[in-house]
Amino acid sequence: MASSPDSSEPTPSPSNSTQAEKPPIEPIRLPTVEEIKGQDIWNNCAVRSVVSGVMGGGLGLFMGLFLGALDNPLMQEEMSAKQQFIYTAKQMGRRSFSSAKTFAVMGVIFSAAECVAEKARAKHDTTNTVVAGCVTGGALSAKGGPKAACMGCAGFATFSVLIEKFLDRHD
Amino acid sequence: MASNSAPPMLDKEQIMGMMEKEMEYRVEMFNKLTQTCFDKCIEKRHKESELNMGENSCIDRCVSKYWQVTNLVGQLLGSNRPPM
Repeated sequence: MASSPDSSEPTPSPSNSTQAEKPPIEPIRLPTVEEIKGQDIWNNCAVRSVVSGVMGGGLGLFMGLFLGALDNPLMQEEMSAKQQFIYTAKQMGRRSFSSAKTFAVMGVIFSAAECVAEKARAKHDTTNTVVAGCVTGGALSAKGGPKAACMGCAGFATFSVLIEKFLDRHD
Repeated sequence: MASNSAPPMLDKEQIMGMMEKEMEYRVEMFNKLTQTCFDKCIEKRHKESELNMGENSCIDRCVSKYWQVTNLVGQLLGSNRPPM
């Protein structure tokens, strides 16, 4: 935590000030080296992006499960109920795995780009989110050529800014 | 601080006096450093209680530059004894 500037309590009411009701004032305590190191773990770009990737993978897993369950088999009339169940389960597994991979990669790239941008600029802004969104969108749609990369960049950047504003207002 | 051409310290009081001055100087520098870097790096609207990464790296750079400036100015003041 940042060092506390002063530890004095606000003055009590003058009506009943007979006995000291204030808690004892503690001396200013600077953080220890262990505390600083413990907080510094979260400042490391690699750690942050890995954690983001894992969270993205988990999210993708659930989304893939959900979307895979909605997918109906093609030959629905000819299969029995058990075959349909097995088919749906396999479909869910396949889709959740691929979705988890995509989301994990997206999370890693976005988090790494935002971390690097914020460290380089030494400012906490929405510009970091825009840059990170552009890099992620461009990287994900780079296979379609430069025009697709530009569209992906703009689209993902807008999406990230909207999500960030939504999350901030919620707090 | 200027390089001391050390005259022989005769009594304890001189040493204590110098240590006191040194301590005061260090405390003053710490306070000014903290105040300057806080004013420069941290936004006025505190949106959260933890330092985020941008502020952290800003404070790192601010302290490093302040320290270098202090050393440099100290050296310049110490070496150029005759007034410019």
